[in-house]
Amino acid sequence: MRAASLPSAGPAVSPGGTPGHGGQAQRWSPWLPWRGRRFRQAATAVLVVTACGTVAAQGTLWTQVPALAIVNVVTSLTFVFTGLTLYRQPGQRGVAWALMLAGVCRSLDFVDTWNAGPWPVYDVVCGGMDRVFGAWALLRYPNPRLPGYQRVFLIVLASWMLVGRTLIAVTSTARWNGESPSAWWPALMVNRRLFGLISVVVNAGEGVLGVAILVFLVMRLVQTRGLDRIVIAPVIVAGLAAAVAGSATAVVQMLASPGATPNGAFLTEGVVDLAVPLAFLIAVIQRALLLNNITVLAAQVSAGADVSAVRYALRATLRDPTLDVLDLSAPGPSLHDGDASASVGDGRAGASAVAVWDGPQPDRLVEFIRTEAGTPIAVIIADPALARYRGLFDAAVQTSGLALKNAQLQAQAARAELEQVRASRARIIEAGLAERRRLERDLHDGVQQHLLGLAAQLTAAMTSTADPAATAAFGQARDELKVVLRELRDLAHGIHPAVLSQGGLAVALEDVTERLPLPVRVIAPVSRAAPAVEATVYFVACEALTNVVKHSRADSASVVIRMTDTWLDMEIADDGVGGATPDGQGLANIVDRVRALDGDVTIDSPPGRGTRLVVRIPCE
Amino acid sequence: MRIAIAEDSGLFRSSLALLLEASGAHVTASTSTGIELLATIAASPPDVVILDIRMPPSFTDEGIKTAAELRRIHPRTGILVLSTYAQTRYASQLLETVSTGVGYLLKDNVTDAPALMDSLARVAAGETVIDPTIVRRLLHSNRKPSKIDMLNDRERAVLRRMAEGRSNLGIAKQLSLSARTVETHITSVFTKLGLDQTDNDNNRVRAVLTFLRSADPGP
Repeated sequence: MRAASLPSAGPAVSPGGTPGHGGQAQRWSPWLPWRGRRFRQAATAVLVVTACGTVAAQGTLWTQVPALAIVNVVTSLTFVFTGLTLYRQPGQRGVAWALMLAGVCRSLDFVDTWNAGPWPVYDVVCGGMDRVFGAWALLRYPNPRLPGYQRVFLIVLASWMLVGRTLIAVTSTARWNGESPSAWWPALMVNRRLFGLISVVVNAGEGVLGVAILVFLVMRLVQTRGLDRIVIAPVIVAGLAAAVAGSATAVVQMLASPGATPNGAFLTEGVVDLAVPLAFLIAVIQRALLLNNITVLAAQVSAGADVSAVRYALRATLRDPTLDVLDLSAPGPSLHDGDASASVGDGRAGASAVAVWDGPQPDRLVEFIRTEAGTPIAVIIADPALARYRGLFDAAVQTSGLALKNAQLQAQAARAELEQVRASRARIIEAGLAERRRLERDLHDGVQQHLLGLAAQLTAAMTSTADPAATAAFGQARDELKVVLRELRDLAHGIHPAVLSQGGLAVALEDVTERLPLPVRVIAPVSRAAPAVEATVYFVACEALTNVVKHSRADSASVVIRMTDTWLDMEIADDGVGGATPDGQGLANIVDRVRALDGDVTIDSPPGRGTRLVVRIPCE
Repeated sequence: MRIAIAEDSGLFRSSLALLLEASGAHVTASTSTGIELLATIAASPPDVVILDIRMPPSFTDEGIKTAAELRRIHPRTGILVLSTYAQTRYASQLLETVSTGVGYLLKDNVTDAPALMDSLARVAAGETVIDPTIVRRLLHSNRKPSKIDMLNDRERAVLRRMAEGRSNLGIAKQLSLSARTVETHITSVFTKLGLDQTDNDNNRVRAVLTFLRSADPGP
């Protein structure tokens, strides 16, 4: 009577509390169904009444075979107790009723030992009902309902037994059935031959139907998968054992001399029958113990698990190979991808790896994992049978959800960090460029203007004086000043080409290509790009054209620049000898400069068919 | 000759004024921006105005804007742009804005006082002057139109002088040829290059420069 004496289960339990999901799952225990004061009172009452009735039903057995009486009482009470335990579990009310009725009917199987009143007739007619109820529970647990054909089968079995045995009773006397003549008997149409015939037919039918039940049980054992198998295997095995024991008793009973009672066989059967409700209790405990799997799951997915790791761990934990976890978080912006279409977030990365979530799936168990803000980041699609393990399933979902959310946060943090690095790199490039432009302007507008002024003064002095020696000295100084001016101009241009800042790429490239010893066609938009982009493109063009002049032996070349709102493309092509190797220092410099702006460089230089360098740089 | 200067750099501006005065010219105004210059010379426009290209406020092409405005207000004043940039594009841009009595010279010309004064005189006289450095770059550019290959050396020399803005007489004097011979060469050049023979010397400069700058990377 442990259940009845259980203290109210702690402050967290409210009266009438239902077996819940989520947070309560952590405290899930086999005794959970006994929660609630009113239910405990009712269950205790049922147990007390059953105990009294069962003790009474054993009749004279207490004096003749007390061991059998004790076994019967204990077995019946265990059935009822198990039924009460299952009563509050989701979807198990039918199984609970079947077990309780089996327990009650079983205790009544020995009511004929009273040898009086209607009890012997009841025993002959209804003596097998405990097996029907037991089969019902065994075939159903833990499903919410029986398969249709099995339900029909059990009804046919019950009807066959009740009708057949009633016919046996009315065509016989109490003595023919081994009962005491002092009992009341409905001997309406006593006929020895009819009784014999009906007995054979009814018993044969019961035998055939009994074998069918064995087949059903074996089928369940073979067919059940996943968590169900762990839970129901002991139940089915116990059921098969009970069926075998029952059949053995029946055989012994048939072979025994009339009037003799095979009490040893009954005792054995009673003890074996006890295994059935105990197996159900084990199953209930087993379900509770499944929660331990969550510990394993948590360990598996603790450190930055991605969707596929969570999928693998969940399949193992919930023993559902059909389970799937789909990533619903939008694919992040492509970090470094030259393919323009990649910037269109179409989730192709997810599509290539696993199936894509395409809406509700009514025949599957579906659970979404959401961020605190409610945005779904993943969906778990599982076998609907897992709904019977709601506590376990919810705990598993919560554990995986934490892991996935954690992983997402980590990824976000990494992305933010990368963004920061890129932003600071862009700032450094920008600052370096600004510094070069400032330096160039200082040289151009400051130093150069001063030197030019000096040259003008020298010229003025030359004009003013008639002294040939002075004129010669001024002339020499002026000539040296010209050299300095030229050097200064080259220096300033090397630091930053002023023509680029002033006229943009089109003008600057025209300026460059005009000086080259081969004709270069320049097609460039007049519109301006960001200074850093223009500087890089200009640098790349100069570097590439230098290579064309030095190595390509080309007759002509072309520079084509196209700009959109998001990209700048430049293609530099020549008709030279080709065969440019992408590992040269010049190209390495180009690649470095372009990569610094998150751009891409491709080079195509088949021997004898010219060289084509394509640069693509993102623009804001 | 009366000259006004708009030049951003103070040292260069004063040195230039010194040079011009020493060479016999009279500097009537000297300012650091084109707008100030226009205000200063409004009452008595000089014969020639010398402009820098990059000046405040935007330091881009104020010189060319000022030239356009100046020509609108004082059509008889010559304009000489002094620049540190040997870019043909600026020269073309200037000629598209103002077609006569205009010049584009590099500042390095201040080292040659007679040449500078000659250019000022030509601009004041309504001629067009283009810096020989720029013309040379155009003629030696890889992008020069392939038709130029059809010209002989003498015709090429004539073409170069035309691009610098020389008149027929100037060309004749420089090449020691008779004016008639020069005219024959010019006709030949225009025919070979497929250009329209214009009667106006200044339009001729523009046509030649436009031809030289036309992007034709050969066959």
